[in-house]
Amino acid sequence: MVRRKKKSEMEGPEVPVAPMLDMAFQLLTFFVLTYKAAPVEGQFVMNLLPPQPATSTAAAPSEASAANDLPATLRTLPVVLQADDAGRLAQVSIADMEVASDPASLAKELDRHLLDPDAPFDQTLIKIDPNLRYAELMSIIDAFTEAFIRAKKEPKLSFDELKGDGG
Amino acid sequence: MSGGMISKTKAEPNLTPLLDIVFQLITFFMLVINFASDNYDQRVNLPDAGSARPVEDDTRIAEDRLVLNIDSEGRLLQGEHAQGIDEAIQTIRHQADLVKLGLRAAKVKFDPETGTLPTTIILRADKETNFGSVLGIIKACQSQGFRKFALKAMIRS
Repeated sequence: MVRRKKKSEMEGPEVPVAPMLDMAFQLLTFFVLTYKAAPVEGQFVMNLLPPQPATSTAAAPSEASAANDLPATLRTLPVVLQADDAGRLAQVSIADMEVASDPASLAKELDRHLLDPDAPFDQTLIKIDPNLRYAELMSIIDAFTEAFIRAKKEPKLSFDELKGDGG
Repeated sequence: MSGGMISKTKAEPNLTPLLDIVFQLITFFMLVINFASDNYDQRVNLPDAGSARPVEDDTRIAEDRLVLNIDSEGRLLQGEHAQGIDEAIQTIRHQADLVKLGLRAAKVKFDPETGTLPTTIILRADKETNFGSVLGIIKACQSQGFRKFALKAMIRS
């Protein structure tokens, strides 16, 4: 088959592109102006049981109990957070021992409890001063979660209100 | 000009590649734009936390969730209205009733004795609020049967 096409046959009708481009630019302007990067939010998921006596408040799932014969009180690392009048973190106590609240000291102390193979702790109960600022609490929850992850354990945190008499 | 003739040659730039690029940009912005903002309340400044887990989209869709925004004064934000703890308890009770109604309508087994509801409470509390206010809301949720909580925080980059 011999292909013979004249030049005039190659030229189709001319579609005006300029109005389409105008509209496309308008759409582009709209999307650029209304664009807002979605904030990157994360979350800490917890199963929080209703208020109970402190000995059984820890949010331990039943399968964990089956895996470990020790009672929940012995497997729970007790933590107390106290705040000053401004709501800042004033004192951190882990297993009745006062710990410096800076992240490095806290991480070191948590590792001492959670990485020790002889230590029975697989969950923690944090008693919190009601005056404590939420940001301070989240920094502590963050430190605990990271410590549990370093210890290759599922983070199991629960919290309770610190009463005036210290518990 | 030779011969006294006026040249009528029109310069027509080829706009098609430009249009292609513009359409690609439009497609990009259409895909990444977020109109609904997914219950984000701009009045709430979340605290930072490096180990907070990002929310996966399939979890977000599959899960039954109730988002509670708490401002820096410890009040529950409902639209433009900020509720104190008493009013917040009423709101949470109302929401729990709606969840129970939905469970009955869907014929999902629900034990009123244990009263555990499958809904996850998404708690978005301002970083300046105190723990006592947050705990008040958590206790109100627990008394209505909510057990699953997700505490929101900004992921530090």
